[in-house]
Amino acid sequence: MESSKQQWSPYLAGALTGIVIILSVWIAGQYFGASTSFVRTAGIIESVFAPETVSGLEYYQRVAPRLDWQWFFVAGILLGSLIAAKTGGTFRWQAVPDMWRGRFGNTPVKRGVTAFAGGAVLMFGARMADG
Amino acid sequence: MKLILMGLVTGILFGFLLQKATVLRYDRQLGALRLKDMTIVKFMLSAVCVSMVGVYLLHDLGMVSLSIKSTILGANIIGAILFGLGWGLLGYCPGTSLGALGEGRYDALWGIIGMVFGAAVFARAYPFLTETVYQWGDYGKVTIPSALGINHWPVIIVFIIISLLLFRWFEKMKL
Repeated sequence: MESSKQQWSPYLAGALTGIVIILSVWIAGQYFGASTSFVRTAGIIESVFAPETVSGLEYYQRVAPRLDWQWFFVAGILLGSLIAAKTGGTFRWQAVPDMWRGRFGNTPVKRGVTAFAGGAVLMFGARMADG
Repeated sequence: MKLILMGLVTGILFGFLLQKATVLRYDRQLGALRLKDMTIVKFMLSAVCVSMVGVYLLHDLGMVSLSIKSTILGANIIGAILFGLGWGLLGYCPGTSLGALGEGRYDALWGIIGMVFGAAVFARAYPFLTETVYQWGDYGKVTIPSALGINHWPVIIVFIIISLLLFRWFEKMKL
C-alpha cells in the first residue's frame, strides 16, 4: 500500500478544485466538462480516414472536430495526474485494478473488454443527457 | 492560443488535485457506486459547494454568465441510465479516465478508446434521437431556484447545510 501521507483530504482537494473552477469561469469563461472532447476526438480521427462521412453527419457539424479549451483541459488532467503521481511516488503501472483482481483474478483481457464496452455505453449516455 | 494554454493549465491543476485525493482509482469509483467509500462524493460535493458560492457571487456582480443545460426528461433519464451502466463497467468517468492513465492505471486506456467509439456511434444515432428522446419532456433551461420561483441564495445555503450534514454522517459511519 502507498503511504497515507501522500493522500490529501478529499474535502481539501475538493474545495481547492472549487476555487480552480471559480477562477476558470472568471478568467477564461469556461466551465469544467470532458465528454464533448471525446466527440471532437472521434471526429478528428474519422476525418483522417473518411472526411466525407464527417461532413455528412449533423452531430459533427454541431460539435466540430477541432481542438479547443476543453480538449486541452482533458489532456491537462492526464499531465497533472502524472506530475502528482511521479512527484508523490504513487505512480504505478497497473493493468487490473485491485478490487477487480479480488473479484475476477488477474484477468487483463476480460478487464480490457469490459472497460471498452463500459466506455462506449457511458459515452453514448453522457452525450444523450448532454453531460 | 491563450485560451488553449489556459485549458491546459486548468486541466493540470485539476488532474493534480484529483490524483492527490486518490479519486482517480477504479476502487474508489466502484466503492462510491457500491456505497462503501464516499471519498469521491466528499470531493465532488466540496468542489460544488465552494464553486457554487463563487460562481453565483460573480454572477450577481455581473462578471460571469451561467452555463445552464436544457432539462429534457427523456434524454436526461435514458442518458443517465446508460451513463451509470457504463460507469459501473468501466470504473472511470470521461475526465478521470485520463487522470487514471496519468498515474499508470492503463486499463483506463481501453475505456478511453471505448468512449471515442461510443461518441462516433452517438454521432450516427443523433438524427434518430432528435426525433425521439429529445422530444420527451422538454422543460428548457430550468434551475432549482427558477423552478421554485425564489432567489438562488436560499437554495445554495440549504444545499451547503445538507452537504455538511452528509459529511458528518459519512465520518461517523467511516465511509
